[in-house]
Amino acid sequence: MYEPKIIGFLCNWCSYRGADTAGMARMKYPPNVKIIRVPCSGRISPELVLRTFREGADGVMVLGCHIGDCHYSTGNHRTAKRMPVLKRLLEYSGIDSDRLAINWVSAAEGEKFATVIKEFTEQISAMPPFAETMKMEETK
Amino acid sequence: MSDRLTSLREAIQQVFPQVDGVLGIRRGPGGIISPYLFHSEHPEELEALAIWPKEPLPDVLRKIQKAHPEAKLAIVCRGCEERGVVEMMKHSQLNWDNLTLIGLQCTKEEAEFCRCAKPYTVHAKIVVGEPIEGVPDPVTEKVAAMSREEKQEFWKEQFLHCIKCYGCRTICPQCFCNICTLEDEKFVETGRLPMPNPSMYHLIRAMHMTAKCVACRECEETCPADIPMAVHFRLIARDVQEMFSYETGAILEQKPPQLLVLEEGEYERTGLPH
Repeated sequence: MYEPKIIGFLCNWCSYRGADTAGMARMKYPPNVKIIRVPCSGRISPELVLRTFREGADGVMVLGCHIGDCHYSTGNHRTAKRMPVLKRLLEYSGIDSDRLAINWVSAAEGEKFATVIKEFTEQISAMPPFAETMKMEETK
Repeated sequence: MSDRLTSLREAIQQVFPQVDGVLGIRRGPGGIISPYLFHSEHPEELEALAIWPKEPLPDVLRKIQKAHPEAKLAIVCRGCEERGVVEMMKHSQLNWDNLTLIGLQCTKEEAEFCRCAKPYTVHAKIVVGEPIEGVPDPVTEKVAAMSREEKQEFWKEQFLHCIKCYGCRTICPQCFCNICTLEDEKFVETGRLPMPNPSMYHLIRAMHMTAKCVACRECEETCPADIPMAVHFRLIARDVQEMFSYETGAILEQKPPQLLVLEEGEYERTGLPH
């Protein structure tokens, strides 16, 4: 079995703190997810997700605050609007939309963070590597 | 066809006293079609008025309005161009109050050429021609029915021909941003043909056309490689309809999803966890 490369975009105010909570509680979760901290999940434009796939990631996670809890009041509404559309677009282009996951994790939900990461890693592990499915000749 | 041309000429003549100019297309010397601003001082120029093939008039209108914000203008628009004008107005690119729309209804042949679902105008007060029903879009249906692997192969094959001329971006009536992501080297690699797979250029463009594409098919028409990129936009338009109940260019007062803050519970329709 191969080790999937997963990039997780975590919002600074909820999900990143949630990851901290999971760490402080010493919860176990797979190490495949490389975390990138962003000010808000609304920062993650579809271009960034596409580029991440283009660079050879097997899966991308976008984690943000629950709707209504956003530090910037409506930042995660943007995520809630654009990510489902991006998922459909991936599907229409022949890319499995399950490779992109969106979820809401608050600062207190360390346990949920560990579960979300674990489930997503298992899901991606079951799929062939992204570069292989796309027959990408070379990645930078 | 000639009938419609005559009645369009008459309609323009009627509008002339109320406006500073009427934007339409004309057949210039050598039979070349180009956008043209007709003026009441030169009614004889209307002899050269043409209706087909269509030109991206809303974009020209935007540029004229930008230079002359106070000018009262009329525009000859088909269903798609009207939707383009409405969307531009919603994104603050046009001054709606200074505009008069002259609606031109498409014929069956024209609608079939564009695979258009709505070849008629809805907001225009002055209307030329008889509105007809929309026609089905066989190409979009074909792609929608494909399996994931087939889709991947199909797009890979199509995007292989892309020479990255940026023609589809330039001609699009909805691509009016001052700074374009497609020119950003972080996202679209320069100096590489054919484009790497998956094609960042086309996927980013498809994403940016969400709830904006007015299905005018100018992009496909201008494409030197005949890439059916409007298929992406049309498939997404269906999802936008389903998720946000938003139909591009249909209702003047409805805010586009980009500018919308979703109400409590509303985002659940997009299928996200909560």
